[in-house]
Amino acid sequence: MSADRENHDMTQTDIALLLADAADEVEIGIAPVQAVIRGGRRRKARRWAVAAATALVLAGSTGATLAFAGLPGEHADRGTSVASRPASAEERHVYAPQRTELARGTERGKEWRVWVEVWGAPRDTREAVRQFDAMRRAGLRPAVDKAADLVGRTSYFSMRSYGDGRSLVVMFDTHRRVDRLSGTDLMAAAVPLEEVRPTAPERLVVGHVAKTAREVTCRWKDGSSTVAPLEGPAGHGGTSLIRPVAGYPGGNWFVCIAPQGTAYQDAEVTR
Amino acid sequence: MGDGKQTRNEEFQSFVVGRWPRLMRTAFLLTGEQHAAEDLVQSTLEQVYVAWRRVGGADDPEAYVRRVMINAHARRHRRRLREFLAPKDDSGLVREVADTGDRIAQADDRSALLQALAQLPARQREAVVLRYWEDLTETQAAEAMGCSVGTVKSNAAKGIAKLRAIPGLADMVTHGGRK
Repeated sequence: MSADRENHDMTQTDIALLLADAADEVEIGIAPVQAVIRGGRRRKARRWAVAAATALVLAGSTGATLAFAGLPGEHADRGTSVASRPASAEERHVYAPQRTELARGTERGKEWRVWVEVWGAPRDTREAVRQFDAMRRAGLRPAVDKAADLVGRTSYFSMRSYGDGRSLVVMFDTHRRVDRLSGTDLMAAAVPLEEVRPTAPERLVVGHVAKTAREVTCRWKDGSSTVAPLEGPAGHGGTSLIRPVAGYPGGNWFVCIAPQGTAYQDAEVTR
Repeated sequence: MGDGKQTRNEEFQSFVVGRWPRLMRTAFLLTGEQHAAEDLVQSTLEQVYVAWRRVGGADDPEAYVRRVMINAHARRHRRRLREFLAPKDDSGLVREVADTGDRIAQADDRSALLQALAQLPARQREAVVLRYWEDLTETQAAEAMGCSVGTVKSNAAKGIAKLRAIPGLADMVTHGGRK
């Protein structure tokens, strides 16, 4: 026994022993593995739900004025896989995003478009500030607190335009590393196709799935459903489809449009 | 791809099962309460699940888990403090509350230490638990707390000094604790 102990003083080892003794008081129980996984899945989904809910910001540009990297029938990732790492910020799409059109159509005489834009990761604060300003000018608010948080992170926004109105951001996020979806993973958000009103039915479903997904089935509240197939090399004329997006490695994107008079119920990868 | 996902899920499940007891003990020392500890561990692991694809393949997933847990604990503590009194200094840390002698009751069993820990400001408690229960180095503790090594040193020293000043705890050590 040390002199300290004899003097009723405690050494750090004593503290460690007391802590171990006190920690034994807790009832360990059985690890609630399934509850943890369910909670984790909810958290994942919530991230996306938040993105979709806060997405009711209106971006400045309309679909008609934008230049697209890929149009329906073209493969957006063609030619990008062999490119070496580009040097300049412009080549990395830091100040002007890569845009890929997913679908377009006409409803009640008005043209609508859905597209995804991917902003390349800035390498330093200077690039990040310029990118932040460019996004703000476009009416976009990335999922970060300040411009410097964009450094090393890729941002993407899925958007839709309707007629001459301002564009609506459907889903957006900013990631250091985009998670690659696999199997039947699916992330989606539903918004009104037409004007944004609280009571408007959510007829437009936009989301992304694994590269291997060949078919997404969207179900509607009236019990009907729409199948969005993976677009073939020749493209197809439908407005519900799965397509790759230029600059987005996490998976392919899909769009489903509900018939008039009904709204989104759920969606899943069916093939 | 589907197989990879299943493998990751299985790895995560065995990680949860394997680490649950240890994490529960740490959380218990941080929170001083059974349900709060369960809640803290579960929400920590839920956050780990979200990032498991990245974390599971990392060299030291434990470090990530500790960081998440300490952040979650600090966030909860800050939220609670805001409702009460806690003034903060410029560094954002909770200002130390002076010992008044009667704030910490005479210790006569294991729970005395938990009560004593509960009286410490959150950052001191975290530093003490990470250094003397988790047995982390100062650098590892600093990583978990998201602060400098100096901050860990001073918080751990202040925390230990307060625990040492409790006569009942010293008696427990002298008499071998409660078994």
